[in-house]
Amino acid sequence: MSEIPHQARGAIALDAAACTSCMLCVKECPDWCIHIESHNEEVSEPGARRPRSVAVLDSFTIDWGLCMYCGICVEVCPFDALHWVPEHDYPAPDAQGLRHGIARLEEFGPS
Amino acid sequence: MPTRGTGDYAAGMAREQRVYAVVSHPEVRVHVRDLGLACCAVEFASAIGRGLLVPAEPSTSGAAVLVVSGTVTDALAPEVIAAWEALPEPKAAVSFGACSNSGGPYWDSYSVTKGVDRVIPVSTYVPGCPPRPEALVDALVALVVPA
Repeated sequence: MSEIPHQARGAIALDAAACTSCMLCVKECPDWCIHIESHNEEVSEPGARRPRSVAVLDSFTIDWGLCMYCGICVEVCPFDALHWVPEHDYPAPDAQGLRHGIARLEEFGPS
Repeated sequence: MPTRGTGDYAAGMAREQRVYAVVSHPEVRVHVRDLGLACCAVEFASAIGRGLLVPAEPSTSGAAVLVVSGTVTDALAPEVIAAWEALPEPKAAVSFGACSNSGGPYWDSYSVTKGVDRVIPVSTYVPGCPPRPEALVDALVALVVPA
């Protein structure tokens, strides 16, 4: 069995803690294969004029059935929340199984 | 519904099915017919060229696997159906790559079938654009040896 290069573009992993739900990846994806849902929470700080509004990530889904592995989302993310991993073994028995949410995308692990 | 495509070409291809053994899992022996329609077919060839799959002796048992690799267009869909119907039972279809999974980059094109599962039943979907040759082996093993 041949070695897989460590920089192989097998899958795109998510670091959900780094994601700010800015939607840049969603907008730049040529395939529209990324779906993000988030909501805003107000954070009050003592002495502040008004509460700050913070986006909280609810769901982050990549549809591997559509993804063409161009990596524009990885390039465009200002917070390095997306990165390539060489993982290639994730076939699915149905098309729905190719949609990976936060938990599965984080399972791909660090770069 | 598609109006073109006689089915002769793909049915002929499907009759030429070959038997391969998976090198990393010698117990997995599959009668594979590669229906290469676009660039993903190069990765199928690469799996053979790099020795991940090796030609094996045909056996009477074992399922036939149709690997649809590449963009299925509405014009070519009848060929795909003919190739599927030409395969003997028991059989399974593997969708290899984004185009045959869902239409891929062409998901909004007027002429591309939005996933080969619209015309034939698919057992395993392999993600990738294109998938690595190793991903083909992963899918064939997952098909024969359920996790």
